[in-house]
Amino acid sequence: MYDMLCKGCGHRTAMSIIDRIIKEYGIKEKTIVFLDVACCSLLMDDIEYDDVMCPHGRVLDVSRGYKMLRKDKVVISYMGDGAAYAIGIEEMIHSARENFDIFAIVINNGLYSMTGGQFAPTFTGIDRKNIDSDKSELNFDKVLKIENLLKSFNINYLARCALTDKENIDFSYECIKKQMDIYMRKGGFCLTELISPCPTNYKMTIKENIDLIDENIKQVYKIGEFIVK
Amino acid sequence: MKKILNGNEAFAMGALSAGVNFFAGYPITPSTDVYEFFMKEHDKYGVKFISATSEISAINLCFGASVAGGRALTATSGCGFSLMQEAISYMASDFVPCVILNVMREGAGLGDINRSQGDIFQMTKGGGNGDYHSIVLSCSSVRDCIDMPEIAFMLAEKYRTPVIVTYDSDIAHIKENVEIKEIKTHNIDSNFALVGSKDNPKRIQNIYYHDKNYDETLKNKYEMIEKNEMRYRSYKTDDADIVFVAISICERICMEAVNVLRSMGIKAGIITPITLYPFPKVAFNNLKEDTKIVVVELNILKQLRMDVEYFTKFKYKYYSINHMSKCPTVKEIVEYVKEI
Ligand code: SF4
Repeated sequence: MYDMLCKGCGHRTAMSIIDRIIKEYGIKEKTIVFLDVACCSLLMDDIEYDDVMCPHGRVLDVSRGYKMLRKDKVVISYMGDGAAYAIGIEEMIHSARENFDIFAIVINNGLYSMTGGQFAPTFTGIDRKNIDSDKSELNFDKVLKIENLLKSFNINYLARCALTDKENIDFSYECIKKQMDIYMRKGGFCLTELISPCPTNYKMTIKENIDLIDENIKQVYKIGEFIVK
Repeated sequence: MKKILNGNEAFAMGALSAGVNFFAGYPITPSTDVYEFFMKEHDKYGVKFISATSEISAINLCFGASVAGGRALTATSGCGFSLMQEAISYMASDFVPCVILNVMREGAGLGDINRSQGDIFQMTKGGGNGDYHSIVLSCSSVRDCIDMPEIAFMLAEKYRTPVIVTYDSDIAHIKENVEIKEIKTHNIDSNFALVGSKDNPKRIQNIYYHDKNYDETLKNKYEMIEKNEMRYRSYKTDDADIVFVAISICERICMEAVNVLRSMGIKAGIITPITLYPFPKVAFNNLKEDTKIVVVELNILKQLRMDVEYFTKFKYKYYSINHMSKCPTVKEIVEYVKEI
């Protein structure tokens, strides 16, 4: 499944979790997935639901336009950190401000992966070159942490998980399931960010990339649920 | 029932008669009346309205509403229209219908809010990236503004492509007494709506990814549009020595100039392209060989004239009366024609 993705890619784990939850809820026939471009678009022919390829950074707006006319559908807005927090940050803010019915999944690997791993506003500065060196030089303050940005809005769900080991993947499943529960029951803005390996661009083995997240990146990005309503 | 409306209000009323389900917009002069109309009236007519936070957002909201099967509309001007080009290009390549009103304003960049016809290049040649055209419909009266949305949605759905309706700010703000049409409701369960699938999921993507005969599909789409959808008005062109080509407010002025010139014994006529793309080249088929064509337009680069020359194969003598924003007067046009 999802054969277009590289080995060890977090997108595969994320989609598998979403697949499992959609199956458990029995909502396949009313699910539409709105995908962003770049590595998200590698899923577009493999996912089992109707899908729409949106312009870069515009997933939330296209999803909103759809949802306004079809309230009964499960609309999944699936994007990377570049789309969600760089080029698309404006619509992220305004969808949250209005607490509009959104079920958003953000795959955060800190990089613009499709184009070769340039740094996104979410890049921690930690990569294979400085993994063992003193991190005090790195400017973690510059990293965009979505919980800081969205905490003043009246949104319904916000969590961050990591797609690393079993424990973390199980926690991701629990969070996304809770997100779905809130979205189905009362709607509103619901987002889970998934810290995700991209071994290709971190130029590491899968294991090294997962260790990098668990041992380093998670010190910058707090894992957990920030808002649950 | 008759009502006194300006062009923008009439366009909004016309959109209701065309069954519009969804309006997303960001206010910008001179198109703002359309936004205001839907802001105030959407509940009454069961239209979903959203005040977008940018034109980029507005057009992408329309994209989503269209995918849901709705008749989606946005209205904008100037730089707002520029911001929409990426999504328009996406919709053209994804075969998603949508209607965009572009009330032209003066100049490049910010320009100004004065009347202009300076977006002809941008609208007719694509405007966004890649190999596509949008169908472009032009209005010259409040009556046109009422009628055009229905034609626009019909064409958008027939070819599953974005359609742009355009006029200048004079037509936007002129008030005329017009018969309004019955309001219609469009059922969003159209055959191209994405509603979820049990098996064989549907995809809205660039058709290039899947269509093995993509070259042919694309060629056919635009050939069919060019073959079937040319629209124009012509007046007194049969025996004309002078033929004006003019759209929007310039049509109205040239129409009067034709009558004045005829009363002076000068055989003048006028052709008004209603579809700026596809350009109505058939309108020129029966002109006399030595006809002088005078293109009257509100831009400096003679944007309309370029298409007129090209589609009439450069075989006539061409003249221009063109200003950036100042309307030519009937007197000015008559004097000019007397000189040539
Ligand atoms: S480049 Fe990175 S994000 Fe993209 S498919 Fe490969 S591993 Fe996944």
